[in-house]
Amino acid sequence: MTRYVLLRVGQAALVLWAAFTAGYVLLQLLPGDSILIKFQNPELGLSPQQIAEIRAYYGGGDPPIIGYLHTLLGFLRGGFGYSIDTGTPVVERLAEALPETAKLATAGFALAVLIAVVLAFAAGYSRTSWLRGALLAVPSLFVSVPAFWLGILLIQVFSFRLGLVPVIGGSPTQQLLLPVLTLAVPISAPIAQVLARGIDQVYTQPFVPVVAAKGASRWWILWRHVARNAMLPALTVAGMTFGELIAGSVVTETVFGRNGIGRLTEQAVNAQDTPVMLAVVVLASTVFVLVNLGVDLLFPVLDPRLKAAA
Amino acid sequence: MRSAALTMLTASGLAVSGLLAACGSGGPAVQAQATGGAPVYGGTLTYLEHQPPTCLYLPAAGFYPNGGVLNQLTDKLTWQDPKTLRIEPWIATKWEVNKDATEYTFHLRDGVTFSDGSPLDASAVAANFDVYGLGDTDLKLPPAEFVNNYERSEVIDNRTVRFHFKKPSPGFLQGTSVIGAGLVSKKTISLPYEQQCQLKNVIGSGPFTVAKQVVDKEIDLTARKDYNWAPASSKHQGRAYLDTIKIIVTPEDNVRVGALTSGQADYVRYVQAYDEKTVKDANFKIYAEPTRGVNNGLYLRPGNSILSDLDVRKALQAGTNAKEVVDTLFTPSYPVATSVLSHLAHGYVDLSKELAYDPAKANALLDKAGWARGADGIRAKDGKPLQLGVFVSGPQPLSKQTLELIAQQWTKIGVKLEIRPADAGTQAVDIKNAEKTAIAHSMVGRADEDVIKSHFHSQNRDVILSKDAKLDKLLEEESALADKAARDAKVGEIQRYVVDQGYAIPLFEEPQVYGAAPYVQGVAFEAVARPTFYSVWLSKR
Repeated sequence: MTRYVLLRVGQAALVLWAAFTAGYVLLQLLPGDSILIKFQNPELGLSPQQIAEIRAYYGGGDPPIIGYLHTLLGFLRGGFGYSIDTGTPVVERLAEALPETAKLATAGFALAVLIAVVLAFAAGYSRTSWLRGALLAVPSLFVSVPAFWLGILLIQVFSFRLGLVPVIGGSPTQQLLLPVLTLAVPISAPIAQVLARGIDQVYTQPFVPVVAAKGASRWWILWRHVARNAMLPALTVAGMTFGELIAGSVVTETVFGRNGIGRLTEQAVNAQDTPVMLAVVVLASTVFVLVNLGVDLLFPVLDPRLKAAA
Repeated sequence: MRSAALTMLTASGLAVSGLLAACGSGGPAVQAQATGGAPVYGGTLTYLEHQPPTCLYLPAAGFYPNGGVLNQLTDKLTWQDPKTLRIEPWIATKWEVNKDATEYTFHLRDGVTFSDGSPLDASAVAANFDVYGLGDTDLKLPPAEFVNNYERSEVIDNRTVRFHFKKPSPGFLQGTSVIGAGLVSKKTISLPYEQQCQLKNVIGSGPFTVAKQVVDKEIDLTARKDYNWAPASSKHQGRAYLDTIKIIVTPEDNVRVGALTSGQADYVRYVQAYDEKTVKDANFKIYAEPTRGVNNGLYLRPGNSILSDLDVRKALQAGTNAKEVVDTLFTPSYPVATSVLSHLAHGYVDLSKELAYDPAKANALLDKAGWARGADGIRAKDGKPLQLGVFVSGPQPLSKQTLELIAQQWTKIGVKLEIRPADAGTQAVDIKNAEKTAIAHSMVGRADEDVIKSHFHSQNRDVILSKDAKLDKLLEEESALADKAARDAKVGEIQRYVVDQGYAIPLFEEPQVYGAAPYVQGVAFEAVARPTFYSVWLSKR
């Protein structure tokens, strides 16, 4: 078990390094840079010569490998450098944005899981085939709804038409409601799909009639035997939807005008603010790696057979 | 959203100074008090901004989200009446200019303080303009576009400051009134660039101060109770009417408009042309504020191997139907251009005849220039297709749609317009390359004759990547003429020259379009359409 954990942690560290390096290289390959984008602003009236001086000041004149090692060292020490666009330390910007996105993502994820479980269970429990069919079609619908469109629709209906939730102002909870729903709907879809399919598959296993023959109720079978066995693939998918949470937060935060990692990313991309983008890449990979590590470590707990294998 | 930081800044920089608006609103001085009874104090204004502010170093205040904040936080030496464009006293109660406009002496108002308590005196003003005029290499502060030929400042006494210029600089007086010339405390102006970029470090003497900031989301301003130095001609004096302004960044167009019409916000910036009707139908007000400078248009670069031919440039000019662009995509808030400059700009001349849409003439010119139609309808010469590149311009309203419509018009004359999406990096690299970027879509606002120089001079924005020595010379002559009539005449000559040379295809006079609730009174703008909240008050809903 210890070896398994160490192996997985080692793999995680490797993935992080690879993400950092790939991110760094790709960002360097982009045409132009944030210094050019920012200081070519004609209002400032700088000559190419002056822009070159500014670039040198920001360390842009170093050979690529030195720049890479310098940045890597900085990241290892927890220093992400300065945002070129706003001049603030990247750490500060992350610290402001992260809690907002964490709230949104956590609540969105929880709601997504809830929607998925309710859908999959209802479909698994239902004996009416048209109802089952209808319930199983919902995830396909959800996954095809663009978050952008959904967000605007929710705002139009619930805020502007019905006046139930303000989009501007309002308490922190009110501000979260619609964005959370927007984020949860598309993310619930793959989880619901995999869980429902898993439940279907487990139902065909020979042990199910056996349990039924012993007199277990339909609900008991579904809850206690089927769902438990169908849970593993759904858990993996749930871990993977984390990436979608980040992508979804870019759209959601923009539509709802929330500040957070998504907005920060969008702005950094537009301004080609390399230090911020790199920090976001590393942050996202870290969370992604941690979530998947958590999922992997949970597997043996849920399925004793895996414990033996490990 | 902030699609190309570069273009955005370009365009937004546009409005370095300017004038005001049409709709019965005036600067602080000319309040629209026709309705709503006597002004009342108090209340909170919720203002929705389209984009988050970027760097708040004053010379970079041209970007509208920056200007919208800084215009409330800072005062200027002089005030430009948006209607008459006259320069009036503000922090400077009077001034003298020597005959050849190389020395300006300003006498300052007494008792003005910055919000940190420090005095706004001659040495503070000198410190500000030393930076705006010369920049500061050590602090990495770039100089400002609106100060030219600056030599030095001289503090005569506590309340008198003199500026010396290397060459005649008649544009400087108006330059002291522009958004970027906002005065900040000595402490602020001596900070390095990164620090001056940050809102918390901007200490001005304006009617509002910053109460709270959530970066990229919200800025709350609160009225300064002891403010008592509005421009002398302002009807309203003393503190601002409003207690608080909440500036909330709301990037989504339809969320801003929906929030306004559903009563969640009072005042919004950047109402798209297609949303104006929604706002009006809800009995809300549209304020389309002119920016009084170089018009929104296509600027043709003679350095491009195809556009080096005057006939081709003239053909494109004749083959572009600006009226169709406005009729199809915009509203009457966007007047069709009749010259390179807005009809409200200094020195404007009407060149609508020269700019008439004439596809037959365009085709004839292209035939004459040796560009023959190929099988696909696109012209070619020596195997090279008549294809020109242009970037979608982030700050220009509906830039992509505008360019697409023009591409259609140009197909009729056998020209292919290659529209490139605006990714900031590629654009920053290619924008200075006439071969790749044959055409620039842009505009600049500033209510001074110098605006045309900012746009075209090879040492300024240089939007056409000019190598035209004659054009540069004309622009330099304009900027050094101390006599206003002579200067305006020179500006007229330049407009004619630019149109004759086919450097410009003016499309429309680009406004800034705001929407406000009917109970928002005293709506006012500075000369290039940035909101002034000083005189705004809220009547009963």
